[in-house]
Amino acid sequence: MLVVAAILAGMVWSRLAYWQVFEHGKLAMQAQAQYRELVELPALRGAIFDRNLTQLVVNTTVYSAFISPDQVASADRDRVATGLASVLGVDKANVMTTLASKSKFAYVQRRLPKAKADQLRALKLPGVGLQEETQRAYLPGIASGTTLAANLLGFVDWSGKGNYGLEEKYQQVLAGTPGYISSYRDLANREIVLGSHTHQDPINGQDLVLSVDANIQYAAEQALADGVKRDNAESGSVLIMDPNTGGIVAWADYPSYNANDFNHTDSALFKDSVAGTVYEPGSVMKVVTLSGAINAGAIAPNTVINDPGVISVGGYRIYDWDRRNHGNVDYTSVLAHSWNVGAIKAMQAEGHAAFYNNLQAFGLTKPSGIDVGGESCLLPPAAEKMSDSQYATASFGQGIDVNMVQMLAAINVVANGGKYAPPHVVERVGTHINPLLLQPQRQAISPDTAAKMTEMMKQVVQKGSGWTSRIKGFELNQAGKTGTSQIPVNGQYTQDVWTSFVGFLPAQHPKFTMLVVIRKPHYPGSDGDWTLNDGYMTAEPIWKTIAQSIVVDWHITPDPH
Amino acid sequence: MARRRLGTAGATPHVTAQPRRRRRTRGFVQVASTVAAERLRLNMFGHAYVGVGALVIAILFYLALAAQITQSSYDISRLQDQQRQLIAEQDQLRYQEVTLHAPAQVQQQAAQSGMQRLVPSNFVVGPPVAIDLTAPLGGSPADTTPLWMRAVATVVNAVGGTRDVMAATKH
Repeated sequence: MLVVAAILAGMVWSRLAYWQVFEHGKLAMQAQAQYRELVELPALRGAIFDRNLTQLVVNTTVYSAFISPDQVASADRDRVATGLASVLGVDKANVMTTLASKSKFAYVQRRLPKAKADQLRALKLPGVGLQEETQRAYLPGIASGTTLAANLLGFVDWSGKGNYGLEEKYQQVLAGTPGYISSYRDLANREIVLGSHTHQDPINGQDLVLSVDANIQYAAEQALADGVKRDNAESGSVLIMDPNTGGIVAWADYPSYNANDFNHTDSALFKDSVAGTVYEPGSVMKVVTLSGAINAGAIAPNTVINDPGVISVGGYRIYDWDRRNHGNVDYTSVLAHSWNVGAIKAMQAEGHAAFYNNLQAFGLTKPSGIDVGGESCLLPPAAEKMSDSQYATASFGQGIDVNMVQMLAAINVVANGGKYAPPHVVERVGTHINPLLLQPQRQAISPDTAAKMTEMMKQVVQKGSGWTSRIKGFELNQAGKTGTSQIPVNGQYTQDVWTSFVGFLPAQHPKFTMLVVIRKPHYPGSDGDWTLNDGYMTAEPIWKTIAQSIVVDWHITPDPH
Repeated sequence: MARRRLGTAGATPHVTAQPRRRRRTRGFVQVASTVAAERLRLNMFGHAYVGVGALVIAILFYLALAAQITQSSYDISRLQDQQRQLIAEQDQLRYQEVTLHAPAQVQQQAAQSGMQRLVPSNFVVGPPVAIDLTAPLGGSPADTTPLWMRAVATVVNAVGGTRDVMAATKH
């Protein structure tokens, strides 16, 4: 009897020893999981401001409604489904199906505004909960379906990750570091606030202050949208820069999207065309070619050449756009009327090596390094690998690919007295000034060359293809250049074109440099006259409209004569 | 020296205090328990009852305190929830405020008010500047005002205070 009792007692003790000793760690963890909770304390994402400290992005609180079907009694299912359907507008039958599944958790609707969440809370439905989440809210754009500077700013997805644009590029800085709190919960799953806690405060994200001007951005988006529609174009982009600092003032794409509703947007629209797409700049490149040749002493603005309208290079015959013999012309006329033969002759006078060095000096052989995510580049081949014909076509902007940031920064060298101002969008991160702004700028060409090129670009507006960009009061004080280049498809040039206009104003003391690029315009009547698709009819009027807005907003006055 | 004299003048002679004899004092509890034991003359059961009673009081006190703490923690939890709601409302109001100042909203309101943006059709040419900023710097021109006028001006200026007018007079 005693032995049997001892055996039974031994069995009980051994079983106890098993649970209390061998399984101690596992059971302790399970117990902790029931009453202890580790809650992440999200860091507040940094705001984004424009140069006038207008807030471009605001953090808002939204709610996701969820149900725990296993906590909803059968008798309450109809009431819960009816309540959810009436407040959230969801399908009642679907909710009933979910409730019948007896699963632990299911979202009913994500990202509700507070008003709806309050309505739902007031119903006190059993098994229905609300989960707080933070959402970025962007300012409205030109139309109800767009937000301001969507392609520049990008958006933040539901997991808090920045996608595209600045939100992606500055994810680490904006997001900050989340903290956590480890606390106890009672039987009803309520937090025991005065219990033992381990607490780590979150480090909030830093704010960004941009060089962008929200008003100019809006004006640019509006003018661009109107222009693209008028030109029956596929798309268009505008980039405006502060000539002295390289700070981007406006960055507009059309078509654009609504960053507040990114989950219902065609992902093709997310791609930014300013930095994310390369194009052949066309005759805008002549500014770079002629500046380099003048800087090297190979030509002068008044150097006279013979332009028969066609030239043979490397076995190819290259024509002027009008295919006419222009006789003896100077380089100011070459730029004003955008003659290809003149640009090729300038490049030849300068020499291939000097021309390539010039491309490097203007920043066209490497990415611009702009602080926006997704910059695309198609760098030219090495100098020794370029053929004669490639040099020739590159001199007037065909056969060479750039993005808009590269091209505008290159032209801005002329506006900035020969110095290359590194393009950037962010002026300050938190309280720290962008180090780019504190670095000395690289002298790409001499100030004298820049002044000469400015005079030549003024002639483009006064006597050449830039006439449609003239702004009242600034006619003698405006510098610009048009560009039109055919779009290649499968190695063959098509009739579709990129058209562009770049310019700065006032010419002597520029307040802004602006580049407008339109893709595949089909200007009314262009079927009969293809030149109607050129930059002077498509990109220039857009440039003019935006420039007028800047003149008014920034109180720009013409230079005294 | 003076300070020392001033410091010592009129001071009372320093008297060294005699060390007090420290009396051994008994604590209140000790005294009270002694007195209580003497008066009540409790037996062993009495001591046990008192002990248990004290223990029960301590437990009740602890329970009351714990209940109070729990209640406070729930209050804090409720207030935290309220705070979260207020922050959410604040966020919403901030977005409304920012949106009201957004260019799109401003333009819409301006259009509703019948305003439209006009492109300047002309620039007003300013009058020629009276001061020649390019003129070389030098001494002031000699005062060619007649002596009698200066004498009159001295009197008039002293009364009327028109010195600025005189200073602005073109020589």
